[in-house]
Amino acid sequence: MRELSVIEAVREALFEEMARDPRVLLLGEDVATLGGVFRASEGLLERFGPERVIDMPMAETGIAGVAVGLAMRGLRPVAEIQFADFIHAAMDHLVGEAAKMRWRTAGDWTCPMVIRTAYGGGFRGGPYHSQSVEAFYTHAPGIKVVAPSTPADAKGLLLAAIRDPDPVLVLEHKRTYRLIRGPVPDGDVVVPIGSAAIARPGNDITVLSYGMMLHESLAAANALAGEGIDVEVVDLRTLLPLDRTTILRSLAKTRRLCVVHEDTLTMGLGAELCALAAEAGVLEVPPVRVAMPDLPGIPVDDVLEDAVLPNRATIRAALVRLAGAVPAGSARRRAYDASIPQASSVVEIALPEEHTRAALDALVVACRAVPACNASFAWSGIVNHAQVVVDCDFGPAAPARGGGTITLIDYGREGADLAIPFVRPGQTAALRIGAVRDGRAFVACSVDHRAVDGADVGRFLAAFTTELERARAPETVHAG
Amino acid sequence: MTRAERERAYRALSLARALDERMWRLARAGRAHFAVPCSGHEAIGAGYALAMRAGIDWLSPHYRDLTALLVLGMAPRDVMLHFFSRPSDPNAAGRQPYAHFGSRRLHVLSLQGPQPNHCSHGVGCAWGSKLLGDGSASVIAFGDGGAQKGEVHESMNIAAVHQLPVVFVVHRNGWTQSVKRESEYATDSLVARAAGYGMPGIAVDGTDVEAMFAASRSALERARSGGGPTLIDAQCVRFLPNTSNDDDTRYRDRTALESEFAVRDPLVRARRLVAAAFADAVDAENAALAQDAADWAEAQPHGDAQTVAEHAYA
Repeated sequence: MRELSVIEAVREALFEEMARDPRVLLLGEDVATLGGVFRASEGLLERFGPERVIDMPMAETGIAGVAVGLAMRGLRPVAEIQFADFIHAAMDHLVGEAAKMRWRTAGDWTCPMVIRTAYGGGFRGGPYHSQSVEAFYTHAPGIKVVAPSTPADAKGLLLAAIRDPDPVLVLEHKRTYRLIRGPVPDGDVVVPIGSAAIARPGNDITVLSYGMMLHESLAAANALAGEGIDVEVVDLRTLLPLDRTTILRSLAKTRRLCVVHEDTLTMGLGAELCALAAEAGVLEVPPVRVAMPDLPGIPVDDVLEDAVLPNRATIRAALVRLAGAVPAGSARRRAYDASIPQASSVVEIALPEEHTRAALDALVVACRAVPACNASFAWSGIVNHAQVVVDCDFGPAAPARGGGTITLIDYGREGADLAIPFVRPGQTAALRIGAVRDGRAFVACSVDHRAVDGADVGRFLAAFTTELERARAPETVHAG
Repeated sequence: MTRAERERAYRALSLARALDERMWRLARAGRAHFAVPCSGHEAIGAGYALAMRAGIDWLSPHYRDLTALLVLGMAPRDVMLHFFSRPSDPNAAGRQPYAHFGSRRLHVLSLQGPQPNHCSHGVGCAWGSKLLGDGSASVIAFGDGGAQKGEVHESMNIAAVHQLPVVFVVHRNGWTQSVKRESEYATDSLVARAAGYGMPGIAVDGTDVEAMFAASRSALERARSGGGPTLIDAQCVRFLPNTSNDDDTRYRDRTALESEFAVRDPLVRARRLVAAAFADAVDAENAALAQDAADWAEAQPHGDAQTVAEHAYA
């Protein structure tokens, strides 16, 4: 498959669709002779002529309104608003006219038009060349809004938009134009409007994003993979109508939601996505939104712009926070349990010099009594193991080999009286028996507190020591 | 105008007046939500609609364009379905209030609320004619209040730059609801604006259907022959309040208005173009048509709530 940049993919879609359908025409500022300020329409004037590639006066209201009229006549206008920041002058025709045309005439008139516009910051464009405008237009039923983030989607969604019987606003993040390259399938491959894509599968957290922030989200997710946080990144691709099925399917799996967008926070798309998840009742912890703060504009100074736009570091921090969130109501609130002899992670017990076999047996019994100590923790949930496989660490000469479900550390007479055992990766508990002095020894237990709480440590040690004592009792009888 | 054209013009003006008066009374009686009178404007729309080729040329209508709609082929019952906002209304299916005309069949573009957004739609439509090479022309009608919006400037400029087959007609009644001409624009007429866009301008007495027809015919011929756009400034009298929700006694002198209207009522002036017996017969016929249309339309069913979401998207 060929590799193209986003802007090359946009140009290819325009070129192919104009060649395929004589009704398609381009209009906008600087689109003809210059080929667009981002070169989206470079070469199209030469190929299709001035009747179909039209330099318009600097009049966004007129450009949008004329496109409405052309669409009403059955043509397929693709209007370019050079920067999304200038689209507000065209809003009356998009929200008031194009979006309502079919509905207000019960289908007698329709408005199959496309408005393409370059949006987004990150290139020192200042407040009037950096804005994200999606929230205004996703609030306008009757219009469709797409926001591709990859070259393949930039082409496939633009093809779909031009062929759509309703007005479509295509939001192209200007930073992706040349920065993002990727494979683009050959031929006429349309990406259906209204379908999101899983950009990165994962199990622990769902990130919903689009545009340039999709790529920052992917970078953050990949960085967290080594830390045991498995993030699923969903590329929304279409912002109106939302692909509720894909979104909810992902959330049903991860139950944790982080929305990332460059648009400002309040009343942004994140609010709707969080509401969607909340209404579906799929979240186990409150959702997180990473967005630009509620400021009137994006500043041009390097430091100031970087300070307001989300990036992979701020997304990563939000994901770590979200991964560690504790579900409300899941904290164990048991009453005082009189059966726990000591809510302690260290106990002193009577123990013979030779105790390895008995200790192993008692450990198995304790694991059966408190399964949380014979488990693995993952962000998607805690897995209790059916079998007990003990990793034995008997000192430098006989270290643990790994692969077990719990670790027993016992350095014998040469070891310390009391030392803290370390929980091995993939396990939730480790037990260390100190050197036996005068028939007594300290037993210390460490646990992963994400999986095991303090009371369970007490129960675990109680079960362990009780079993040791029970095992010794018959011997005492026989000896007697 | 030929005799047949004069009689056709009178028939349309008379029918528009009959419907207008009936709608006004019904709205005032609370039988319908909203009336937008066209009394005083009738000759303007009749002039260009008679000069248009129905079903070929395109109209982006003014909201006081009832006469043009009738000339282009809208039936009185359909007007009344629109007035009563019934779902069978071919203009807006019970979704837009009265005077938001539109019909693909009649080549009348759907009219919106915010005035005059349809100017650029009409320019796009005219551009479509040029690109499709079908030889059709467009008329875009709007008020002198609407003419003060940037929309009209952008539309006229684009039409002139691309020499589109379009005729802009401003229904200049001197009022924007309650705001008088002096607070809307600083010139006595708007025709001089045409020169600023490099297009011809024609000032017409919009209460004279013959003058309006002649101006429209020459402008449409220019449009069809590739001569580009024209602006027609058609001065008229808005005889009634802005809408049924307006009380014009708060801002204008009805007595002076009525004396002016006595000599500038387009229907009275058009009556002089036809035989008195013809006019009387047509008036009687139209009164009956208006009554039938109103009675019939009012009896048509209201909408089905189950269908309200239909046509949001294809």
